[in-house]
Amino acid sequence: MAIYSFWIFDKHCNCIFDREWTLKSNHASGTINSKLNEDTAKLLYGMVFSLRSISQKLAGQGPHNEIRTIATGKYRAHVLCTASGLWFILLSDLKRENLSEVLRYLYGEIYIKTVVHNWLSPIDFAESEAEKRGRGTRKIRNRNFLQRVEEFLGPMIN
Amino acid sequence: MAIQTILVINKSGGLVYQRDFSASAPRLSSNEYLVLAGTLQGVVAIASQITPKSLQITRKTGSKSGSDANHSSQLVPYVGALGSSAVPAQELGSFMGPDYFNEAFTSWNTTGLKHVTTDQNSLFLYQTLTGVKFVAVSSQSATSTMAVSIAENLLRKAYCLYVDYVMKNPFYEPEMPIKCELFDKRLGELVAQL
Repeated sequence: MAIYSFWIFDKHCNCIFDREWTLKSNHASGTINSKLNEDTAKLLYGMVFSLRSISQKLAGQGPHNEIRTIATGKYRAHVLCTASGLWFILLSDLKRENLSEVLRYLYGEIYIKTVVHNWLSPIDFAESEAEKRGRGTRKIRNRNFLQRVEEFLGPMIN
Repeated sequence: MAIQTILVINKSGGLVYQRDFSASAPRLSSNEYLVLAGTLQGVVAIASQITPKSLQITRKTGSKSGSDANHSSQLVPYVGALGSSAVPAQELGSFMGPDYFNEAFTSWNTTGLKHVTTDQNSLFLYQTLTGVKFVAVSSQSATSTMAVSIAENLLRKAYCLYVDYVMKNPFYEPEMPIKCELFDKRLGELVAQL
């Protein structure tokens, strides 16, 4: 299996989308926006946040030093941080070395076109002060977005 | 691959050794390096917690072939003499032969953090069975498996130096910062070969 899961976090530290595949033989297996993944989402957010702060400390004179991949003994996480504070994270196996193009496509061609350009979808997923600082549970439930993510990432999971 | 910094972190997450090797290395205060080491220790623990579900499923129902494939993936290939100038045999402390070791070795770090790349740097982590972690910061952003195995070989050699010149020093207190001239000198030579 090449891709294990896909996550989006917003600037309020909330997980606004998660998709996890469990069986490599079945594109439709796994969970979408599952409540069971809340704890994992927090751990993943914390890991990327810590490593981002390390990379910003290590940056030399260059303008910025964003994190790209995080590899462990079992899997590799690919990260795309946008200027608006969104984080796109893909977990893949160790054979995939660089998925930044895939993440760019997910952001530029799918997220922008089906969520940002959609008047019926909220721009900011935290509606009140109580939903900021990582306490919100709102997710992207846009039909077009879900469908296009499945179409794009489905063939890559095995 | 230019190595900027090498850090040694003890099993409780404290920084015991830090050295910069290039002028381009970031100028951080010793306090900032301590925080960095503690953060890395935390991330290593977190990274093993978020193993994807599909991997957990295949491990539970894993057949023999699956576990074999897993085992071979933990083997790090031996990368021959790093760099051009080979050091004479008597320079390797208590190790015989032309190099410290000459076979593939098992990586004890099976689920924890191993390798991080950013726009400018890459960070490699080698973990020992006793919990000591060796971290190398390189000034190139390399994702290839070759770079990872070169770094693991380099850090295992640094571990050999640690075993020889730190553990065999009667004045060294375990878990305390390393102040050993010979370790300093040999590590400098090792990185200069690269």
